[in-house]
Amino acid sequence: MIGLKIEELKPGMILARSVYNQQDLLLLEKGTSLTKKRIWMLKTWGVDRVSVKGKSQGGGESDFEAVLETKESIEAELKAKFADVIDEPIMQEIMKAAARQLQKSLIDQEKENEPA
Amino acid sequence: MNPPDLDRMISRVEDLPTLPRTVLKITELVNDPKSSARDLARIITDDQVLAARLLKLVNSSFYGFPQRISTITGAIVLLGFDAIRNLLLTTSVFDLFSNRRKISLIRQEQFWDHSLGCAVGAKVIGDHLRYDKVEELFVSGLLHDIGKIVEMIFIPDEFKEINQLIRNKNILMITAEEKILGYSHPLVGKLLAERWNLPPKLISVILHHHKPTEAGPFVLEAAIVHLADIFCRSLNIGYGGDNKMPALDRLAWDNMRIKPQAIEAMMAEIKGEFDEISLFITHTP
Repeated sequence: MIGLKIEELKPGMILARSVYNQQDLLLLEKGTSLTKKRIWMLKTWGVDRVSVKGKSQGGGESDFEAVLETKESIEAELKAKFADVIDEPIMQEIMKAAARQLQKSLIDQEKENEPA
Repeated sequence: MNPPDLDRMISRVEDLPTLPRTVLKITELVNDPKSSARDLARIITDDQVLAARLLKLVNSSFYGFPQRISTITGAIVLLGFDAIRNLLLTTSVFDLFSNRRKISLIRQEQFWDHSLGCAVGAKVIGDHLRYDKVEELFVSGLLHDIGKIVEMIFIPDEFKEINQLIRNKNILMITAEEKILGYSHPLVGKLLAERWNLPPKLISVILHHHKPTEAGPFVLEAAIVHLADIFCRSLNIGYGGDNKMPALDRLAWDNMRIKPQAIEAMMAEIKGEFDEISLFITHTP
């Protein structure tokens, strides 16, 4: 688990702890994967630090490696979701299409995360 | 005969949330053939929040008008009465449920995203099928799960039990509801929709979105929302309350005559349009 400043968050990172606002209302649950919109939401709520999954490396503040969603984790998640309905051929098509679409967003996110 | 809990909920139907007066007035106007764009503009302009939202929405790229629209009358002329009514219904509905401290914020945000995703999904599928009133589909998608919100508010203890069962057994919410309550959110949503005097088509979609074949004359509309729900769940757009896929109503699917090759393009469009529109009608708790 690593603590990051809101400016350091990237889409695809996974929350290691639930995030609350100053009135102790739950904003985002632990385990939620961050999207641009969610990061923006945290900013508008005045949150300045959160914990995400991953580990810090070396001693510097900015040396860390966050756990991100992967192609494999997307496929595993879809398979679990579709487990009861996968005998239906149309549902198989939908699952395959969803996997490709979600993986495409993942690649787009990675591109955005690359330093310019 | 209704189960006792449902009877209890119906008996409290007077407590169910009502729509904002402005939206009711607009509905009346839309149904009155003698009303003009100017009458409608006057009502909207009286409600500054609605007016601001409407302008923000018509100027979003969701509608793709090349020029900036700066007057309410201009927006009405461009979009038409029905579209305006549906838009305002859209943005008003979720206000009713905000500021309810008992519901976690993530729950509200995720639920809103699921509803908005299904609304966009129903519109995209409707466009694909050349359905002529896609705005109606949008609202149907938005409201299809409204019964879940009513449960959250009116039977919070049972709702908590339902969620525990979902977490422990990893099942669909509708299955957990049947086990604990003996009825489920489509029926609850139908009661609210009737209370709000929503059109019969909309009531039918809310009631039959898990089994569209039973929707009689509105089987197509219910099937579209049913499919939109499946698309959004598979794309992780919002959270419908559980981590399972509902079974596809195969008869309803066949009835739509969608080619399997068209599925992915529709899904890509839903994802893109959802990201676009959710920036404009973000539910701010």
